[in-house]
Amino acid sequence: MLSRLYALPARLLAPLCLPLCLTLCLLAAPAGAQDLLMAQAANFMPAMEEILPAFEAATGIKGHAVYSSTGKLYAQISNGAPFDVFLAADEARPAKLAAEGKSEAPFVYARGKVVLWLPQPGVTAADWQQCLQRDTIQRIAVANPESAPYGAAAVAALNKAGLFETVSPRLAYAQSIAQVFQFASSGAADAGFCALSSTLTEQGRTGTTFAVPQAPSVIQAACILKSAPNPQAAARFVEFLNSPLVAEIKAKYGYE
Amino acid sequence: MLEAVPAIADPLYLSVKLAFFTTLFIPVAALPLAWLFAFRRFAGKSLAEAFVALPMVLPPTVLGFWLLVVMGPNGFMGQAWQAVFNERLIFSFPAILLASVVYNMPFAVQPLRATFEKMDRRLLECSAVLGLSPLATFRRVILPNSLPGLAASSVLVFAHSLGEFGVILMVGGSMPGTTKVASIAIYEAVEALRYDDAFLLCLALVPASFIVLLAVNRMNRSLQ
Repeated sequence: MLSRLYALPARLLAPLCLPLCLTLCLLAAPAGAQDLLMAQAANFMPAMEEILPAFEAATGIKGHAVYSSTGKLYAQISNGAPFDVFLAADEARPAKLAAEGKSEAPFVYARGKVVLWLPQPGVTAADWQQCLQRDTIQRIAVANPESAPYGAAAVAALNKAGLFETVSPRLAYAQSIAQVFQFASSGAADAGFCALSSTLTEQGRTGTTFAVPQAPSVIQAACILKSAPNPQAAARFVEFLNSPLVAEIKAKYGYE
Repeated sequence: MLEAVPAIADPLYLSVKLAFFTTLFIPVAALPLAWLFAFRRFAGKSLAEAFVALPMVLPPTVLGFWLLVVMGPNGFMGQAWQAVFNERLIFSFPAILLASVVYNMPFAVQPLRATFEKMDRRLLECSAVLGLSPLATFRRVILPNSLPGLAASSVLVFAHSLGEFGVILMVGGSMPGTTKVASIAIYEAVEALRYDDAFLLCLALVPASFIVLLAVNRMNRSLQ
């Protein structure tokens, strides 16, 4: 009975069949051997997409990144996922892997900044605290402080400014820093504690950004995994991360 | 272990509340649609059918993003809600309930429609010959004969909304005690490496879902 309930009308499914088969055939084709596989926290994706081709141009090594949340990547690595390098959004999880003997010593590869962002252009206020006092700001998006380092930094800034108690009923929690920007840019939230990198995108520049100096920098650490299938290439990539070229790319996307 | 109880009880209660209200409201929307699809021919019928079935094939996050835009302060639903109730719709319990109803529509419409189509047409003809209006026919002939189908669709919808995730992730905003349902709480616990909490929530959710399904199945059988 239940299985029949799931059956879509045949005439709905029929036109879907051919493209579906084609897609499956395409996916079944071998993806080609990856020289290097990175587990990359999703917030750094725009910069990484530019770093990887530059790395290939410089060394001839093809790098490939999987973008996900730091927590999920950590869980995958703990369960033996075949990554070479883990680039997290915080310091805690690489440190945890190192303590568990699953990785080499972690190092800092980027520092992110939290800003307050509003989707409308030209909003005037003395500073971010003043901006939050406006009665038009009914909902403020923030990343989950427990799992997203950018959320933790935003909450730390609110606490430092003594605003957390008054603001907390208006907070809506997103699962990632990218989703904060989504909440704010779609107008669902009136403002969001976004990553500076989100506000430098084309859509980000159409809004108003307030600096949040009270928020600590989000220190993003990386480590080479002990189980790396390709440790030499991983070491070269880590070296490449310290190059002036990468520093330039990072600055462009709002990272130090 | 015990201090974690509210962190686990609240999301579970919310999930059950959401599933309960979704199951309660969905026949209101699904019955007329199922009736239309089963008994009426009209222009654009297959388009309408495909549209109602869309949540079945769309990724929930895509549907969720669309609902986020529509329910936000600038969207037409959000603005209508604001006009009537003078409060924001997005990131509230009504928002996740509406999203849940939209998402579950095909799971309610399909089984009901199948039930209606299986019905003996002679019954309907008799009822028409005896002078019952279409509405009276629906209330006194079609509905009593489709209770098993209604129960079956309710089981699906209830179970479905108990574990709903992608859509709520988009329109809920994880507000503790308002929109942070069990599935979101489990996700957050895993992300924060609180695997014990995640395990406890799953431990509670799986038997709860199972007991509900057993009970409704039993009810379903007794109706048949």
